[in-house]
Amino acid sequence: MNVSDPVMTTEPAAPPPGTTAAVPTARRRQVPETAALVVVLIALGVFFSITSEFFLNYDNFVNILTAAAVTGIIAAPATMLLIAGQFDLSVGSAAAFCGAVIASLALHNDIYFSVFIAVLAGIGIGMLNGFFVTVIGINALITTLGTLAVFRGLTQVITDGQTLGIERFGWATERPLFDIPVPVFIFAGIALAFWFLSRYTVFGRSMYAIGANPVAARLNGIRSKRIIFVGFVLSGLCVAIGGLILASQLGAASPQAATGMELSVVTAVILGGASLAGGRGAITGTMLGLLIIGTLNNGLVLLNVSSFWQTVAQGALLIFAVSFDQLRIRLTSK
Amino acid sequence: MSDDGQMNEPFRLQARAIRKSFGGVEVLHGVDLEATGGSVLALLGENGAGKSTLVRILAGDHAPDSGEIVIAGESHSALDPISARALGVRMIFQELSDAPALTVAENISLGRWPGRRGVVRWKAVRERAQRALDELGVQLDPDRPVADLRIGERQAVEIARAISDRARCLILDEPTAALSAQEVERLFSAVRRLRERGTAIIYITHRLDEVVEIADRVEVLRDGNVVLEREVAGTSRADLVTAMVGREVGEVSRPEPAATDAQAQPLLAFEGAASDGAFADVDLAVRPGEVLALYGKLGSGTAEVAETAFGLRHLTAGVCRLRGDAHAPGAPHAAIAAGVGLVPADRQREGAFMVRSVAENISVPSWPRLSRRGLLRRSSEARAYRRWHGELSIRSRNDPDQLISTLSGGNQQKVVLGRWLERESDVLVLIEPTRGVDVGARMEIYREIRKLARNGMGVLVATSDYEEVVQLADRAAVMARGRVVGELGGDEITTERLTELAGG
Repeated sequence: MNVSDPVMTTEPAAPPPGTTAAVPTARRRQVPETAALVVVLIALGVFFSITSEFFLNYDNFVNILTAAAVTGIIAAPATMLLIAGQFDLSVGSAAAFCGAVIASLALHNDIYFSVFIAVLAGIGIGMLNGFFVTVIGINALITTLGTLAVFRGLTQVITDGQTLGIERFGWATERPLFDIPVPVFIFAGIALAFWFLSRYTVFGRSMYAIGANPVAARLNGIRSKRIIFVGFVLSGLCVAIGGLILASQLGAASPQAATGMELSVVTAVILGGASLAGGRGAITGTMLGLLIIGTLNNGLVLLNVSSFWQTVAQGALLIFAVSFDQLRIRLTSK
Repeated sequence: MSDDGQMNEPFRLQARAIRKSFGGVEVLHGVDLEATGGSVLALLGENGAGKSTLVRILAGDHAPDSGEIVIAGESHSALDPISARALGVRMIFQELSDAPALTVAENISLGRWPGRRGVVRWKAVRERAQRALDELGVQLDPDRPVADLRIGERQAVEIARAISDRARCLILDEPTAALSAQEVERLFSAVRRLRERGTAIIYITHRLDEVVEIADRVEVLRDGNVVLEREVAGTSRADLVTAMVGREVGEVSRPEPAATDAQAQPLLAFEGAASDGAFADVDLAVRPGEVLALYGKLGSGTAEVAETAFGLRHLTAGVCRLRGDAHAPGAPHAAIAAGVGLVPADRQREGAFMVRSVAENISVPSWPRLSRRGLLRRSSEARAYRRWHGELSIRSRNDPDQLISTLSGGNQQKVVLGRWLERESDVLVLIEPTRGVDVGARMEIYREIRKLARNGMGVLVATSDYEEVVQLADRAAVMARGRVVGELGGDEITTERLTELAGG
């Protein structure tokens, strides 16, 4: 029996036609996506520089960054979660809850102890979300929609619906360097940390794999549940930091603090190129998305557009970003 | 069906000199096709030969750049899905487009509800479904939800939907890819009934035995050209293969025997293994350097046995041993750590990370080894890819950042295979490794799998494709209804023996 022959004859075949035809699509990845965001950002900057005399100066840029800082701190872990196909909608109410925790504790306790407990509260909320999503197996959207309501309600219970003042907690309003307030530095540090985490660690890369194909991730030995759980915990930690910053900036814990934060976060993340289908996205994109939203809001204020219209603009921006994502999914799946 | 009674002349669909380009690349270079009522035309070709594009043009999904489509004597320069449907051309896709939550009857009437002024007449819905099912010779309760049906039954429902919508030309796109042997038989009998009542059938496949069994005429496409078009009677398999591949390929033949030591300790062994409802009394041993095929029809338990070795399923009796030690991984990550790799059956859904790069796809299970203290360098992933790119002759740009989705199916499968080489696994479990892979690439994958075994790996292949067993395996265990019913070695492995043991 002449065995090896049929096998060997197939070896020097020409590449199948499919390969050559499909090649060009691979080139246009990532690069143009981020480039498009930069273009939009510059366009907005030019537009507002022309229409408002107050836009183009250092102080205003610091204002934009300061306004974006808390959203950015929370959007960094949210980007990783969305890359893995997960959502955290509870961020706004969890931040308010952490603020309420520190305000009520600080009345009778040491401030450092109160901060410690507030951070633990944030981490605990993250663990709770992670538990329901990974162990019980509830869809993240539903889980965190539930915790959104629960912790907004608990915040109101703790504060009795009133704004609770905090004494000597103004650290977040200090400007240690270049007249830039502390939260902007924290924001930069967290963005950098998550950028590194998502690009250069097995943990971060596993997030991409889970989002790209959850079944394949499991079959390749990735312990998806554990990783997603940690993702939610990181989200809780950053939410606590955000909540503390908000409480410090206001000098008080408001039961209405960070209302609608989830909308800003999701908008920034999706505008930044993270796909609802999972497996794609980057921290750099989210940061650009955040700057676009921040610039838009800032410009609209400078142009004396009412804040009601800002809400409209933000919702429209989210739908625009998601439509863009859908178009991209449709184009790449062809 | 009553509507067809008045037809005297057989229905005829002709495509003439069809050309079509995508993104500047012409994929069909003036292709003709003719389907006649009461006849089955097999459309054969490797992946990328243009058969999908051609039938999508007939079904109105694509407009041709030039050429014409003549249906029942009327010429059209292009069709859209609605007009194609109105002219009686219907396509049944591999990916079923049914509504699983609805019943069989509802699915058959989907979008064409019988009724008046928007009020559905449920009695008519059921009657129509029953009529269509009877015509196909399929016995199904019209009130069952489609989600409860098996894949072959769901396909039958889609065909019933097409014929109840007066389909006169039915296009079936690789309809047997996911069917068990009995389901294939049922499908074939339904196709024959449709042929008798005058339906024209275009049957896309790359399985040669199906062409011989079901088709009257065969058309072979290669690289966008028709390379063969004739009656099936009098056409040999060798003619078809040569036409498809474009070069002489021998008949199904046996590989060179592996030099395995029959006394060596098995790498992977099952002893009296059972898993509830899936298989029982399974005794198997895979020695280093050999490819053991576990052959059986879908549902016979072969895939389930393979899954237990990878921690996807647990034994309820007996033991599984890895290098002599008890091996009961609780989850895939434990199996991988023990040195077992898995190539799953469904590449798109379980194997590849389609939106990620080839380098990432090849290195995922090796991340623990490639990283240091949780830190992973892209360069080490790229190095891993470059190594296997040459070794496995993966046809791509040799760019580690290339998306795996831009590779052909066979090359994607090589990347998935390469994962376990990079991981240095010593037992490889494959489930249906060449499903949806064209003939040429299939041969290469077999060669690579053989090469792995020659390097000392133990390979277990669970498959329902007997030609695959013949071409790949050193030994074969045949399963039927969850039990091993026979073992074959060396020259005993023939398609006849395999099908006979598996229960014809």
